[in-house]
Amino acid sequence: MSEKKKKPSLLTHLFGNRNKEIDILVEEQIQSPGRMMLENFLHNRLGMVGLIGFLAIFLFVLIAPNFVPINLGSSDATQTHVPPTNGMLRVPNEMKGKVQAIAPGPTFGVGCNTDGDVYIWGYTKITDKIDVGNIPDKVKKANIIDVAAGYDHIVALDDKNNLYVWGNTRLGQDRIPGELKSSRPSAQKKVTQIEAGYQISGALTNTGEAYFWGNGNMADIDVKKEYQGRIQKIAIATYNYILLLDDGSVVYGGLQKNNAFTRIPENLKSGVVDIAASGDTMAAVTENGKITVWGNITHKEDQVPETESKPIEIYGGRYHYTALMENGDVISWGDNEHGQSAVTANVNSGDIETVFAGFYQNYAVTKDGGVHTWGLSGHPLGTDDLGRDILTRIIHGGKTTMTVGAIAEIIAIIVGVVLGALAGYFGGTTDLLIMRVAEIIGGLPFLPFALLLSAIIGTRIDVQMRMYLIMVVLGLLSWTGICRLIRAQILAEREKEFVLAAQAMGVKEGTIIFKHILPNVLSILLVQATLGFATCMLTESTLSYLGFGITPPTPTWGNMLSGANNSIVIQQYWWRWVFPASIFGICTICINLMGDAIRDAVDPKSIGR
Amino acid sequence: MRKYIFKRILYLIVVFFIVSLLMYFLYNLIPSDPARNQLEALKSSLKPEVYQQMYADLRKQMGLDDPIIVRYARWMGLIPDLNGKFNGLLEGNFGFSEFFKKDVIDVVVEPMKTTIFINIFATIMALGITIPLGIYCAVHKGSKFDNFTQVFTIVGYSIPVYIIALIFIFLFAVILRWFPVSGMGTPGANYTGIRAMLDRLYYFALPLIVMTFGSLGGMTRYVRAAMIDALSMDHIKTARAKGVKEKTVIYSHAWRNALLPVVTLIISWFLGIFSGSVVIENTFNINGMGSLYIKGLNNHDYELALAMQMFYTVVSLVGALIMDLSYGLVDPRVHVDK
Repeated sequence: MSEKKKKPSLLTHLFGNRNKEIDILVEEQIQSPGRMMLENFLHNRLGMVGLIGFLAIFLFVLIAPNFVPINLGSSDATQTHVPPTNGMLRVPNEMKGKVQAIAPGPTFGVGCNTDGDVYIWGYTKITDKIDVGNIPDKVKKANIIDVAAGYDHIVALDDKNNLYVWGNTRLGQDRIPGELKSSRPSAQKKVTQIEAGYQISGALTNTGEAYFWGNGNMADIDVKKEYQGRIQKIAIATYNYILLLDDGSVVYGGLQKNNAFTRIPENLKSGVVDIAASGDTMAAVTENGKITVWGNITHKEDQVPETESKPIEIYGGRYHYTALMENGDVISWGDNEHGQSAVTANVNSGDIETVFAGFYQNYAVTKDGGVHTWGLSGHPLGTDDLGRDILTRIIHGGKTTMTVGAIAEIIAIIVGVVLGALAGYFGGTTDLLIMRVAEIIGGLPFLPFALLLSAIIGTRIDVQMRMYLIMVVLGLLSWTGICRLIRAQILAEREKEFVLAAQAMGVKEGTIIFKHILPNVLSILLVQATLGFATCMLTESTLSYLGFGITPPTPTWGNMLSGANNSIVIQQYWWRWVFPASIFGICTICINLMGDAIRDAVDPKSIGR
Repeated sequence: MRKYIFKRILYLIVVFFIVSLLMYFLYNLIPSDPARNQLEALKSSLKPEVYQQMYADLRKQMGLDDPIIVRYARWMGLIPDLNGKFNGLLEGNFGFSEFFKKDVIDVVVEPMKTTIFINIFATIMALGITIPLGIYCAVHKGSKFDNFTQVFTIVGYSIPVYIIALIFIFLFAVILRWFPVSGMGTPGANYTGIRAMLDRLYYFALPLIVMTFGSLGGMTRYVRAAMIDALSMDHIKTARAKGVKEKTVIYSHAWRNALLPVVTLIISWFLGIFSGSVVIENTFNINGMGSLYIKGLNNHDYELALAMQMFYTVVSLVGALIMDLSYGLVDPRVHVDK
């Protein structure tokens, strides 16, 4: 053949090109039914799209959960209803090379550069009304030299010793003590350090005096008189603070007598060089480079890694600490849910000048002014009402939803095939009995009955058992269709000669049913199984949506949507329902496309229906 | 035919008793003790022995110590209760709702009206759209419009109805503000007559649209498939060969034959929608049967839930009967009694 034959590309192979002319011999070639079905299926474009889509989602929910761990019990008040964002660590270009100070907040970062300008990045809309991104005009005009960020407010200090507070100011966050107001001529005190906690703020002056203000209902913000004038540094946790005094000792400065922070370890009576606080713990570094952590240790904050160099400065996040070494290296430890204690490799080149850490973020500033960041950069698909990451829940929810759907369908297939085969092959009383049972179960109103079973049995068992219960209930309620189908098919097959031959040869009846007859029905079963899988997933998700399926904290695509049916969530927190709904919708559409294509392939008569 | 109907009804009654027995057993799995509940208030003021005595008496009085089958028969109204009267389900006593502190029958009436209203309305709307659409697609099989509808209907029946509801609320209630997000009427407004009717329709519009939309996919495909089958029959070819007008061929020759599967579908779908509207009612805060059922289950008001469950069962059983009988009515070739 002189004509050069064009080799079919993968795409034409997959999606087919039915219009090409073929040789009469090729066209009339006899194919085995299996091969023909496969070919028919492969030539169905929609079916291939469905198959590829389904496989992609299936592999995604199968593989991704291994890489994205989930903490089922987690809930984080600082991260609730955060929209999809990725910019919590994105330091503005105007700050690069001129970093004066950076203060990480729960979902935002605030910083000022050496020119005295303030920048805020990340998600700044703390509540519906409060947006810390609205920097007051006075602040914009002033020459800011230091910033501190609390949970929902920001404190800034300018070069004229003025303090500014913005954000949530309803609980006294802006009630700056009179002693710190530079408008009073007698005020000679210059603020040297500012810090912020949960609705509280603190400032240290050059005279060694500390002042705290804000919401004192929950926080211990009074200062014992005896320490005033001797204070070197302050560190604020969520509600409490500690002080580093000029004799190198650490003290609890508040008036509370007995809490987790007042029991300061013995070795911190002298020689302390730096202190820091996380959300619920305190930490101190001594001259010899030893780090001591005390308080309510919940996230391994006390497991300080061994290092060759000795730490000289320490910074606290919400559940982690970061320390700067003498040789310019940086270490982080504690909670690593958002990667906040996983120091990136390029940080440890030994030229780190200082570190700013807070909440879940770390900013390391190099000697030449570059900024390295690690920690929580944002939630790609946002968070829900308990501050849980939607993407993580979609990944794990998909696994649950698919597992439940698959196992329920497998149960339905097993029961349906066995009973259908028995009824079809034996006929008579067996048939009558099985079909009556199938009729009763098929006649039960499905959803109310499933709701009822889940409500009655489900309340008394734990989450894991409840999941199995849902699988079994779904399986046992949805086998009747398959049973009827298999019975009808077997009734037809039973009369054929090969069964007679097998019977004449003395083959056992069980073998005839399951080895001789059943393979002939497999293709139809495959169609039914595919479509049934989608139905089971839909039913499970509907049950979960109504609150009678798999209950939180275990995520499924259904129960992720169960909190979404009110206008506030639908409108303002759209990411809570759009993403789970989309992936679930795409998944079921793909399965149904695939099922339809298989049906068309198996039963050529149905093409075009 | 009459014999067949009689046989079917007999069968239906047997199934009804089997299912109700099953339900009754299920509900009795719930650990609850009405006698203890009634006496709990007195417990502290009585001596332990007196309390025990009273408790035992009350249990006996309430018939709690009898075997479950006896209690079932009593609940059903098959045997007289302890007062010597037949007072059970069959006599119209559906039980007492603990949560609403009312007889179940009084609790159920209003929601049932609502549910039947929205279901009939949604059925009419869905049929009005799907039948012409299905016929059109079947007649123009393979056209662009048909292909588009095919894909669109797959999407329609693949997506669960509550996701459709969320999307529609977002589009029509939140963004366009055409309809209210949820509820059954303007709060605080005391409309009467035509005004009240319009207000109700305004609130029911979105749920009805969602219900209709949710059923478009499956039904259109079904009508189309039935119609294609009917159009491929030999007598259609004959009719066309004779020169019968295409309209007559489609609507008279073919559609009549397609009607049989469609009627089956309509009835089963109408039954399915009764329990299916649980989701819609819950999403739109409509006080219908579905949301009442959920409320009953959530508040452990099991007598209410049991009665409603029985209602659903009866509806589906009677529906199956009607479906079988309708074969014969729609298609004279079918002899159901054979």
